[in-house]
Amino acid sequence: MISSEQFIYPPGEHEAEKASNSYLMSLIALIAGLPFPIVNLFATLIFYFGNRKGTYFVRWHCTQALLSQLSVLPFNSFGFWWTISIIFSSETITNNYIAYIFTLIIFNVAEFIATIYTAISTRKGTHVAWWFYSDLTNLFCKP
Amino acid sequence: MKKILFQAVIIISLIFAVWYVLSKVDWMRIFKVEQITNKTEKKLGDLFWELYNSAEKEIKSEEAIQPLDSILTKICVSNNIDKSQVKLHLVQSNEINAFVLPNRHLVINTGLILAAEDEGEVAGVISHEIAHMELNHVMKKLVKEVGLSVLISMTTGSGSSEQVKAAVKLLSSSAYDRNLEKEADIKAVDYLKKSKINPVHFANFLTRLSDKEPAGIKYFSWISTHPDSKERAEYITALCNKNTKYPQPVISRQTWDNLRQYLSEKKESRP
Repeated sequence: MISSEQFIYPPGEHEAEKASNSYLMSLIALIAGLPFPIVNLFATLIFYFGNRKGTYFVRWHCTQALLSQLSVLPFNSFGFWWTISIIFSSETITNNYIAYIFTLIIFNVAEFIATIYTAISTRKGTHVAWWFYSDLTNLFCKP
Repeated sequence: MKKILFQAVIIISLIFAVWYVLSKVDWMRIFKVEQITNKTEKKLGDLFWELYNSAEKEIKSEEAIQPLDSILTKICVSNNIDKSQVKLHLVQSNEINAFVLPNRHLVINTGLILAAEDEGEVAGVISHEIAHMELNHVMKKLVKEVGLSVLISMTTGSGSSEQVKAAVKLLSSSAYDRNLEKEADIKAVDYLKKSKINPVHFANFLTRLSDKEPAGIKYFSWISTHPDSKERAEYITALCNKNTKYPQPVISRQTWDNLRQYLSEKKESRP
C-alpha cells in the first residue's frame, strides 16, 4: 500500500522538511479536529495553498496529503452527522451505526499510521508513494 | 486514468465491505445497548410517574380497575404483548386524557371513561396508547424534544426538577408528530381486529369528541393533543371491514355501566 520510490531528482534538506510538514500538518489537524472532520481538510488545504508555489517535491507531497484528507472527509462527516442525529434527534443507536463507527476507526487509524510513517520518511528525503493516492497525485501535480 | 478509477472503486468497495462484515457482529448485545436503554427508560418511567402521581389522585379500587384490566388483558393476549410489563393507572381527573410514560406506564383519566359511550371506545384509546409503547414512540419523542444528555442527567439525579416536570407535561399534554400518531392509529386498528373488538368504536369516539369540542373547553386534552381527529376517524373507518362480525364485548354492558356509575359517584363526591 505504501512504497518508497526514487523521486525524479534528489530532494534537498529544506524540501524534505517542508514535505514532511505537510503530513505533520494533517496529523495535528487530525488530532485537534477529530470531532469535526472539516477542520482536518481546512488545515491541510491552508498548508497546500501556502506551498503550491514550492518545489516539485514539496508540492507533490502536499497534494498527496491533501487528497488523502479529502477522501476520508465524506466518510468521517457522515459518521459525525449520524452521531449528532443520535444525540439530538429521534435516531437511535443501531448495529449498523456501531459497525460504521468501527469502520471509520479502522480506516482513520490506518491513515494515521501511514501519515506518521510518511512524515518520518519524507523528512529523511525518501519519496513515499501511497497506493492509489500517488497515481492520483501524479494527475494533478506536474513537475 | 482507468487504473486510478479501478483503484478508487477497490478502496470504496473495501470500506463498504468492512462495514458490511462488522455489521454482522451483534454489537447491540456485546455493548448491552438495549439493557442500558431499558434501565434508563425504567428510571425515567418511575421518576415521571412518581411526580405525576404526587399531584393527581390514583384510583386503585378493584371495582374500577378490573373492567379496564380485562380490556387491557384481552388486547395484550390477542397481540402477544407482555401484559405484566404494562402498568395501568386510573387517575381521577375530569380531563379527557390518556397517555403513556416511559417503562410502560399507561395512564387513563376518569374523564375519558366517562366521555366514552361503550367499552369499545376505551379499548380503541388503550390500543392506540399501547401502540405508542410498542413502537417506542415515548422514548423517541423524549429524546427528540428533551435531548439524550438531559434525559441521562435526569436518571443520574443531576437533572433539575423543572426539567422533569417539563418532560412529564410534554408526554401528558402534547401530541406526537403526525406520522407517529398515524402509525399508532394503524397499529391500534390491527390490535383491535386481532382482539375481536370492532375498530369502528374508536373512530366513533374520535368523531364524537371532535364534533363536541367547542372552543374554550379545557377538558378535551386527548382530542386537542391529537389533531385532525376527523381525518383520523376517516382513515380508521376505512381500515374497518364492514362485513366482519364481532363477538360479544370484552366486558358486559352491566360491568361497563357499573364502572361509569362508580366513576360518576367518585366525581360527584370529589370536593
